[in-house]
Amino acid sequence: MYSMTQIVRTEWLKIKKYPAFWWVMGITALTYPGINYMFLNVYYDITQKRSGSGQIIQALLGNPFSFPEAWKTVGYFSSIFIFIPSIVIIMLITNEYTYKTNRQNIIDGWSRTNFMVAKLIDVLLLSLIVTGIYAVVAFVVGSINTTNLAAPRWSMAFYIGLFFLQLFSQLSLAFVVGFLIRKSFLALAVFVFYFFVEKISVLILSNKYHNEIGEFFPLEISHRLVPRPAFFGKFDEKAYQASLEAVQYHVGYATIVLIITWAFCFWINNRRDL
Amino acid sequence: MSVLTLQNISKSYGKIQALNNLSFEIPQGCVFGVLGPNGSGKTTLLSIILDVLKADSGSFLWFGQPGSPEQRKKIGSLLETPNFYHYLSAVNNLKITNSISGRGDYQGIDAVLQKVNLFERKDSRFSSYSLGMKQRLAIAAALLGDPKVLVLDEPTNGLDPVGIAEIRELIIELSKKGHTIIMASHLLDEVEKVCTHVAIIKKGSLLTTGAVEDVLADEDTIEISAADITALAAAMKDYGNNIKILPDGNFLQVSMPKGTARLEDVNNYCFSKGIVLNHLVFKKKRLEAKFFELTNN
Repeated sequence: MYSMTQIVRTEWLKIKKYPAFWWVMGITALTYPGINYMFLNVYYDITQKRSGSGQIIQALLGNPFSFPEAWKTVGYFSSIFIFIPSIVIIMLITNEYTYKTNRQNIIDGWSRTNFMVAKLIDVLLLSLIVTGIYAVVAFVVGSINTTNLAAPRWSMAFYIGLFFLQLFSQLSLAFVVGFLIRKSFLALAVFVFYFFVEKISVLILSNKYHNEIGEFFPLEISHRLVPRPAFFGKFDEKAYQASLEAVQYHVGYATIVLIITWAFCFWINNRRDL
Repeated sequence: MSVLTLQNISKSYGKIQALNNLSFEIPQGCVFGVLGPNGSGKTTLLSIILDVLKADSGSFLWFGQPGSPEQRKKIGSLLETPNFYHYLSAVNNLKITNSISGRGDYQGIDAVLQKVNLFERKDSRFSSYSLGMKQRLAIAAALLGDPKVLVLDEPTNGLDPVGIAEIRELIIELSKKGHTIIMASHLLDEVEKVCTHVAIIKKGSLLTTGAVEDVLADEDTIEISAADITALAAAMKDYGNNIKILPDGNFLQVSMPKGTARLEDVNNYCFSKGIVLNHLVFKKKRLEAKFFELTNN
C-alpha cells in the first residue's frame, strides 16, 4: 500500500498553489459568517423593536443564535452555501482530466486506487477545513449572543459532526459529477443547476403535494442532518420534532449514500481507460 | 535479460483493432525505436505498458515481472503530451513527480531543469511555456532521479532543430551509460541516428523487429550509372537471379540478395557487355526506405 502520508503530501502540493482553492476558501470564510450575520441582524431588527411586539416575538422564538442552539442555527444557515466549496472539489477533479495529469500520476507510479484515495483525501480535507470555518463562526456567534452564562455551551456541539457529514456527503456528490463529466464548466453548471433544482423540487413536493419523497433526494438526504433552527418549532411543532427525530435515520442514509458513491467511483476508475 | 517482454497484446476501440497480437522483447541497454505510421498503435502500445490503457488480451513483463506501480516508479516516461498542472511552476510540477515516483530529490530537480535548459524559467507557470518548453519539462520529469529505463513517446515533438539535436545527444549519452530507452517516433532519420533496435508496426500488427542492422540489411543495394542508362538497365537484367532494378534519375538502384553484391564483379560484367560505368557505389539502406517498403505493402 502506497504511504498515506505520501498521498496527502502530493495532494497538498497540487492544492497549496492553486489560486482557485484560496479564492473559494476566502469566499467561504466570508459567506459563512456573512449569511449568519445577516439572519442575526434580521432577528435583532424584529426582537429589539421598542413596541411590545418585539418582546413577545423574542419570548416566543428564544434566541436561536445563543448557546447551545447556535451550533444548529449557524449550521443550518451555513449549509445554504455548501455549493461554494463544491466548486473547488469539481475543479480539482476536472483539472486532472483537462491537464491529463490523472494519466501522469499513474505513469509516475500511483495505482488507480492510489489516485482515488488521493481524491477522497481532497474531499475529506476540504470538508474538514470548511467544517472548521463553520465551527469557528458558530462558536463566535454563540459566544457573542449568549447572555445566560449557565447555558450549556457544548451540549449541541455534536452538530459539528453532523455538519461535517452533510458537507462530506454533498461534496462527494459534487465530486461524482466532476468525475463523470470531466469538463469543468459543464460539471459546475450541472451541479449548481441540480443543487437549486433539487431544493425547489423538495419544497414544491413537500408544500404543494405534501409528499416527503424529497427527503431521499441525493442532496436532501444529508441536508436533513442539520434541521431548521428551533424557532420553526413555534410555527409547526410537530414537523419540527419530526425533523429532529429524522436526523438519526439520515445519518444512516447519508452514510450509505457515501459508501455507494465512493465504491462506485473506485470501481469505475479501476475499470476505465485513462 | 529483457527489460520488457510483450506477449500477444491486443487492444481494440470498438470495431477498430488498435493492436493485434503483438509480441516482442526489448533487450537491456538498447535504444529501442517503436516505429509506425500515424494511427499504427505506437502510443496505444506505450499506454498499455504504462497502465494508462488496459489490454483486451495478452500481457507484458517488466524485468520478468508483471507490470506494477512499483515498477513504473523506476521508469521515466513521457507519454503523448506533456501532462502537468498548468497553474504550477516547473519546479512545483517536478516536486509532484518526485512525490509520486520517489525518483530524485529537490536538488535533482534543479539538475534536470538545467539539463533541458529550463532552469532560467523554473519558477514560471507551466501555462506560460511554449510548446517546446513544455516538451523539455516532460523530458526533465522523465530524467528525474536518473532512471535506468526511459519510455519516450515522440520526444522531439515541438522542439526546434537545436532542441532535437540536444535530445539526440542526450539519448546517445544515456545509452552509453547503459540506460534502456524505449522511444516511439515517426522521425525515421532521428530513430536511425540513435536507435540500436526497432520494431515496425502497422495497423496494430508487428511487421518486423530486431537490431537495426539486421532489419535493414536483408539485401544489398548498389547505385550505378553509365552514358546509356537504358542499355545499362537492359544489361543488368541478366546479371543474376533475384535482382530488382529501380531507375532513379540518371542512376539505377540495383538490389540483390544479401552478401551477393560485389562491386568488382558488377564492373567486370558491365564492361564485358560493352558498357563503361561512370558511377558505382554500394548503398547502405536507409531506415526510411525500409520503413516505406514494409508499411506500403
